Amino acid sequence: MPSDPQVEAMTGPRTWLDDYPAGATSGDLFGDAPAPVAGKWKAMACALAAIAEGDPATLQDLTARHIADLGLTFRITGDDDERTWPLTPMPLIIGAGEWGQIERGLIQRAALLERLAEDIYGPQRLVAEGHLPAAVIAGSPYFARKMLGRGPKSGHFIHVYAADLARGPQGQWRVLQDRVRLATGIGYALENRLAMSRTTDALLSDSHVRRLADFYGTIREGIATDCRRELPRIALLTPGRFNQTYAEQAHMARYLGLPLVEGRDLSVIDNRLFIGTIAGPKRVDALWRWVNTNALDPLSFDAKSQLGVANLFDAWAAGGLEIVNWPGVEVLESAAFSAFMPRLCRVLMGEAPILPTIATWWCGQAAEADTVQRRLDTLALLPAFGEPVDGLPDRQPVAGASLDGARRSALLEAIRRRPMDYCAQEIVHLSTTPAVIEGDVVARPFTIRVFVARTPDGQWAVMPGGFARLASSDELPTSLMGEGDLSADVWVVDDGPTDFQSPGRLTHEPPVTRGGGILASQAADNLFWFGRYNERAEITVRIVRSILGSSIEVDGSRVHDGEVRRRLVDLLVQWGAINPTTAGEPLAVVGGRALAENLLPGGVAALLRMRHQVGLGLRERFARDFWRMVSLPMPVIDMQRPQNLVSTAKWLIEHFSALAGLASENMVRGSAWRFLEIGRRIERAVATCRIANHLSQPQVSPESLGMLLDLCDSQIIYRSRYLTGPMRNPVYDLVLLDPDNPRSLAFQVAEIAAHLGVLPAIRDDHLPERPLRAARTIMGRLETAIAQELDAASLQQIEAQLLDLSDAISLRYFLQFDRKGEDARPSLLE
Amino acid sequence: MRYAVSHLTTVKYAAPVQLAQFAVRLRPAAWPGQTVSDYALSVDPAPAAISDGEGGYHVNEAKFMLREPIAQLRIESRFQVERQPLPHAIGGATGPGLTDLRERAMARPDLSPLSPASYIFASPIAQPEHDIALWASGFLGETMPVMEAGRALMEAIYRQFQYDGDATVADTPPIEAFHQRRGVCQDFTHIMIIAARAHGIPAAYVSGYLRTLPPPGQDRLIGADAMHAWVNLWCGEELGWIGFDPTNDRLADTDHIFIGMGRDYSDVAPLDGTFRGSAQQSMFFSVDVAPLD
Repeated sequence: MPSDPQVEAMTGPRTWLDDYPAGATSGDLFGDAPAPVAGKWKAMACALAAIAEGDPATLQDLTARHIADLGLTFRITGDDDERTWPLTPMPLIIGAGEWGQIERGLIQRAALLERLAEDIYGPQRLVAEGHLPAAVIAGSPYFARKMLGRGPKSGHFIHVYAADLARGPQGQWRVLQDRVRLATGIGYALENRLAMSRTTDALLSDSHVRRLADFYGTIREGIATDCRRELPRIALLTPGRFNQTYAEQAHMARYLGLPLVEGRDLSVIDNRLFIGTIAGPKRVDALWRWVNTNALDPLSFDAKSQLGVANLFDAWAAGGLEIVNWPGVEVLESAAFSAFMPRLCRVLMGEAPILPTIATWWCGQAAEADTVQRRLDTLALLPAFGEPVDGLPDRQPVAGASLDGARRSALLEAIRRRPMDYCAQEIVHLSTTPAVIEGDVVARPFTIRVFVARTPDGQWAVMPGGFARLASSDELPTSLMGEGDLSADVWVVDDGPTDFQSPGRLTHEPPVTRGGGILASQAADNLFWFGRYNERAEITVRIVRSILGSSIEVDGSRVHDGEVRRRLVDLLVQWGAINPTTAGEPLAVVGGRALAENLLPGGVAALLRMRHQVGLGLRERFARDFWRMVSLPMPVIDMQRPQNLVSTAKWLIEHFSALAGLASENMVRGSAWRFLEIGRRIERAVATCRIANHLSQPQVSPESLGMLLDLCDSQIIYRSRYLTGPMRNPVYDLVLLDPDNPRSLAFQVAEIAAHLGVLPAIRDDHLPERPLRAARTIMGRLETAIAQELDAASLQQIEAQLLDLSDAISLRYFLQFDRKGEDARPSLLE
Repeated sequence: MRYAVSHLTTVKYAAPVQLAQFAVRLRPAAWPGQTVSDYALSVDPAPAAISDGEGGYHVNEAKFMLREPIAQLRIESRFQVERQPLPHAIGGATGPGLTDLRERAMARPDLSPLSPASYIFASPIAQPEHDIALWASGFLGETMPVMEAGRALMEAIYRQFQYDGDATVADTPPIEAFHQRRGVCQDFTHIMIIAARAHGIPAAYVSGYLRTLPPPGQDRLIGADAMHAWVNLWCGEELGWIGFDPTNDRLADTDHIFIGMGRDYSDVAPLDGTFRGSAQQSMFFSVDVAPLD
């Protein structure tokens, strides 16, 4: 801890690390570092202190701000909401020498895992020759019998491999777990680096830290090489936006430029995989799956799973699809398998493992089961195959020494009945690393997750860095992040400048393209609804503002007519923004309730929540600034103070304007932008019809016409055009028929028709499709109408036509399926 | 005994559905003591092609897809089968004791669809249940021969559980049926599988049929009007897999016709399907197993 930054400045290069209490007994990454690497640590600590002006707490705040800017979040199992990512600002520094050993060990291990997968799903020589018990394979819930004899055409079972490593007290690295199912953390490692480089500026290059960017390019190129088509389409298959690591999947998809797809976006036809897009089905060559094998195909594996694609199996079995990693490789991940890794390495690779595995005993063998019974107090027990078993219901390892009499004998009895369900592992003590926590620099035990990818030439590349997890205790991690854990960036440093730090060793220049890539039907659907929810929320806020009486004044006089405001309250009830029982309350209460309403579908809080839900599925398409605004919490509504309500409404309207500005200035004018626009414009058109009609009941009055102008933001134009106060036909013409008023009904419909007209066609007969015809029908009607003819009946008819148009768009462009639960789209318009 | 088997399935959708795709597991897999002839699967409306293959376990699987929208589907499976009686020796055999059996099962270097190692672990529906394991402990002992253990479990289920078609539905978890002591053949089979595996006995789910009408003078077997299910236990290298029918408290014999075997129902479900659309579906079955002799 620094005492006083000024004293520090005078005494020279003292750093936060000078008084760092490196644990003398347990080993510490900084404490053990050889002189040149320790020098990097100190330089880093100096630089961080300078950035933070001596106060570690400032540094934490700064990092937290960059994290918020990046929009980085995660969930822990059981979470409903996303949490902010806990990155500690001090990185782990590993010298090139120590890292070289890790790198060689990981490459050896990746090659070993590849050969294991080949043998298990191929000749099964290891089982036949007695090197591996059949039960170690059959016991895994991920063993996919259907994959037997069905290897990838490319010959590559594994493209992406992750491992959890622990550093022991003497500095020896060990593999805690191999991960070939999901490379969780691979995106967070990148995000940690992004946040760090924002915080620390030139420190990374000054410290000669190896760059991560090339590694991610390698993943993509490695997969592309295995596809049998030039410029293949590679998609990232996600379980959906409620998955724990969805944020990470979305970040990876965006960073690598891969379409992010769900099972229902995809279909298999003639053994080839297609993605449903607004321009019809498009071929997919490869899937990077973030979905378990068992869930990939309901007709070949778990029939209940909704995450996969029917007959996806046929697509890869017939060679029409690369899939990363190959289905079934998860079988290699079990604890039982770890017990055999040292031996299998010698059998298959003819050499000892460079990186040892955490010592593991599988009780399915009599001798091992005996050892475990004898040494129980020095070992931890865990399920052999990752699933809950009798005595270990939550899958967590349990230290043998911690078991009391009753639990101990129950567990021993369970092991006696089914020994093959249990493994035991040595208890590993972890090295510590310096961490900035709550304003202090303290020693924290850590593990790191490292990543390996297959290169385009079929070799292996190790990410020079990784994802560090700083545990709140010495216990081994069982998931990426647990309660109270922190993450940190991992720096692999060279002594001086080398090739590893220079950017971009790109293999070839890509062909130039334009546009926003393909637009999946489901993404189009989400964009459309995002636009609708957003617009409906905005209109509702405008109505609330008018009810509260802070509308733009007309000719210097406020709208005093209580009757008109009551009509608006009535409209809020119709739209489900407030309960009918609220309607009789004072206007301030009505306004406050409409803003705060989160249960009824038309409340502003509810609409913003639904907008956010839909937006989660679009996150990889939105600019970070845009998404940050969408994620802002709803302001607190203070019912007691109407003046606060007015400013809240104002704030919200500014929020909508800012979003509209970002969309209009930053979004590529592709199909995605068009669907966002179409959604907004349909909603605005319908609302305009409804408001005009509603305010004309029981009869039009100058006040109701003024209100209509107000809600359609057309006061100024009206006043510039007419010298009189609001009169029916001039107002109706301006807000309904004038094609040049960007707030008019006619303008919305013309925009919709224009967007529909340039969306991709499926048929090549060049005839307008149904949505376009529907839009043009309404447009024709508005183009030929005069204000005098527009009565309640015709406004109702136009509203019905608009709803039909919305249905036609939905039928033509979106996927048709049963929406359930969170996915349901509450009808906005009844 | 020779039988003619016909099994008709009709699926009706409230509104037409698109891209309907199905996996059908109705063609009998090879089984000792059983010879199948004249197998025919007919589907109406007829798909462009039906592909015949094997499921992950010991079960046949046919797949097809209907590209045009359908509102109704009719699937008919027909075959003739000759069923030999169980070899006489099985009646008196005991098999190895349970600990010995488990060690033998674990030692076999075999991953084939009939390997004991494939049926000794938890499976999607037959998850370990402490209560069932504990209940089974009351009938089993470490050195008890496996045939005796199988009979004890089968009889315990038959005596303690009530056959009740209204108590459970197709996806009721086995533990619920266990606690209410009611259910149908599928529930009893899953419960017995969980109980056997809890004590290290390799246990499999068999889907099949029973003869519809009993021989003169005998009672009609329970479960004869639909598909039936029973348990296969691995009883050591010599005896191999033996069928135990807990619904009827008897070994699978000439009245039992074998279709397929998997870890639980999910591996051998007669019909799995997916489609695009949002229609309610309803399904009707009729099964007839008529003796030809």
